[in-house]
Amino acid sequence: MNKFLKNNQKNKLYSPVKLSSHHLLSIEGMTKDEIQKLLDRADFFANLDRHSDTKFLPGYVVLNVFFENSTRTRVSFELAARRLGAEVINISLINSSIKKGESLLDTASTLNAMKPDLLIVRHPHSGAPLLFADYLNCSIINAGDGRHEHPTQALLDALTIKRRIGRLEDLKISICGDIANSRVARSNIHLLTTMGAEVRCVAPSTLMPSNLEKLNVKCFYDMDEGIKNSDVIMLLRLQNERMSGTENPSEREYFKFFGLDEKKLSLASPNAVIMHPGPMNRGVEIASSLADDPSRSLIKTQVEMGVAVRMSIIEALNFTKNQT
Amino acid sequence: MTYSVFKSIKVINPATSLNDVSDVVVENNKIIAIVKNFKQEDLDDKRPITSYDCSGLVMSPGIIDIRVNIGKTENLILTQKIAAENGITSMVILPNQTPKLNNPSIIDHIQRQSENSSLPKVWVYGAATKDDQSLEMCELGLMSEMGAIGFTNGNKSIKNSLVLRRVMSYAAMINRPIIQHAEDEDLSGLNQASTTSIKGEMNEGEISTRLGLIGIPSCAEVIMIERDIRLAKLTGVHYHVAHVSTRDGIDVIRKAKKDGVKISCDTAPPYFTLNETKLLSYDTAFKLSPPLRSEDDRLAVIEGIQDGTIDAIASDHRARSKDTKIQPFSAASIGASGIETLFLVTMELVNKKIISIDKAISLLTVNPANILNLEIPSLDQNKNATFIIFDENIPSKIDKNNLKMSPTPFNGRKSFGKILGTFINGQPSFIHNDLKVKAEK
Repeated sequence: MNKFLKNNQKNKLYSPVKLSSHHLLSIEGMTKDEIQKLLDRADFFANLDRHSDTKFLPGYVVLNVFFENSTRTRVSFELAARRLGAEVINISLINSSIKKGESLLDTASTLNAMKPDLLIVRHPHSGAPLLFADYLNCSIINAGDGRHEHPTQALLDALTIKRRIGRLEDLKISICGDIANSRVARSNIHLLTTMGAEVRCVAPSTLMPSNLEKLNVKCFYDMDEGIKNSDVIMLLRLQNERMSGTENPSEREYFKFFGLDEKKLSLASPNAVIMHPGPMNRGVEIASSLADDPSRSLIKTQVEMGVAVRMSIIEALNFTKNQT
Repeated sequence: MTYSVFKSIKVINPATSLNDVSDVVVENNKIIAIVKNFKQEDLDDKRPITSYDCSGLVMSPGIIDIRVNIGKTENLILTQKIAAENGITSMVILPNQTPKLNNPSIIDHIQRQSENSSLPKVWVYGAATKDDQSLEMCELGLMSEMGAIGFTNGNKSIKNSLVLRRVMSYAAMINRPIIQHAEDEDLSGLNQASTTSIKGEMNEGEISTRLGLIGIPSCAEVIMIERDIRLAKLTGVHYHVAHVSTRDGIDVIRKAKKDGVKISCDTAPPYFTLNETKLLSYDTAFKLSPPLRSEDDRLAVIEGIQDGTIDAIASDHRARSKDTKIQPFSAASIGASGIETLFLVTMELVNKKIISIDKAISLLTVNPANILNLEIPSLDQNKNATFIIFDENIPSKIDKNNLKMSPTPFNGRKSFGKILGTFINGQPSFIHNDLKVKAEK
């Protein structure tokens, strides 16, 4: 029997979700039921006094391995793991071992030798966490891989929406911006369509990926049309290097056609809320006043929900691994 | 100085349209007779005879593989040996190896180094321009005198239209073909000068969108072919498109052939057996160039093979070390091993009744020779005894653990056929144990 389970039998707060995999690599492939349970459990954590005893995983070792810059995601994972009583080690490998020529496999086996229970990995290349999952014995959480997925972001976005609006089914949700290069968009598309929301993607044609409709979304190139009557508007960050060039002519042109301002927002549903995974480019994808409007903007709630969602996932992965 | 006799073997010889069971008699490096019911008394002298009971087996000319990357010169002999084990008796290597095949002395060096009468003959393509993106033409004439049989920038396309026009014109003058990797590298994002963050990784479409990998639109191929055909007409060169992979590309080649353009093309096994869905697990063994395309494109490649638009099948061999393949997809090297699976995967087309065995043999032997103006291999009296012996009916399964080079995109694939012997200039370059036991002295 798992040591953590033994310790936790006494703790009435301990009620982990069982998943079909002990990794969280993508939202694509997860069932509605799994997502629902994770969100419910996260909701429970979000409601909990943060001084409650949730230290279910003493001695559980988490390696936070980031091959790309991140502040909020890394801190959020760290906080989540610590609230569960785990030990967290942050390892930043930005440009280091890759540039030194060490293969990812060598890095992976080095980390594996330290016998972690969980590896949280962010990597600039799509699919990299799958490689870790193939070569490491521990659980893997994808904390963002290239343009592929960022599953925990989608889960925290979903929790944020649920807590504000009460449901995901039948909501009209517009995801706006650089869809082509966004892992946040992909994870959200998979999650929200799985949960029964109507997802609309709004982007300039140069930043709309090929055959996106096959993912059960509607594509719009006119933001007015794309956010009409929407309940939720999710904005994506436009990377600096794409603000001017062959994908997009200039910042001001982008803001004119794809930036969210009062006028465009007035077309959405009267109670529409605004979300952004951060960090924001004020005046590029969103007017500064809207970003700070507490009646509309859920941006800070998203950050807050991140910790609760990640607690539910870490707890679930440990439980699932020890069940299999 | 011995005789070898291959008894009751089905001889498939496209050059003479022969497909018949006979006895084949070889003296030294020549076939001296293909007869029914050979008798020892028919020979003038009493030299020893090695006789093989080959009933149920097939003899055909050896495979001429017109697209092999060896990577580094050091790999040459090893590649030749493995090629021989897999039925290849001649191979043409691409210039993008280290060092680059862009001058007459290196062409000469490669040929001297590879010279071994019992190993597959190595032919070379010379580089068309000094560097991939260079505006300077290589010494095509001198390289050609040293034995270069065609010119190409190998895995890179010859991009600049003016440069290509001149290279084509010059190649036409010295009667050599131009072989093009047809891909608009600006469009596919492979031209680093024109893009900063975009580098094509796979075929563009739903799968690339799902995986978050950068797509290469399939029209990157046909755009290049269409331009090149205009220049081929202008210059009169023999223009050969390597590893065609798209329906549009094949359609354009089909039409150009009808219009009388001197054009030919080949494809490689991945393009008629696999499609882009193989990439769904980010398996880097499927990271190829051109990328695996859609199912519709794959079917078009098969149609092109059937109707003769596609002239030849080549391995497109590009073995890669595991270190460069056990990587995130974006960082992994491009290419896969091919010489060990070329025969087996081509035989799959025969087994599935997509083409006849005679046609398959033509695609691998006489057609490649035709394209490159090499001597047409033929199993006939007084011809060179270079041929392969295989079992066409035996089930086989490709297992990556049994292959000598990696990676393979065909792991686990079932096919039919097995190479049992490769004879080059009358010498057994490779004999499988199953054939050895059939020999009696």
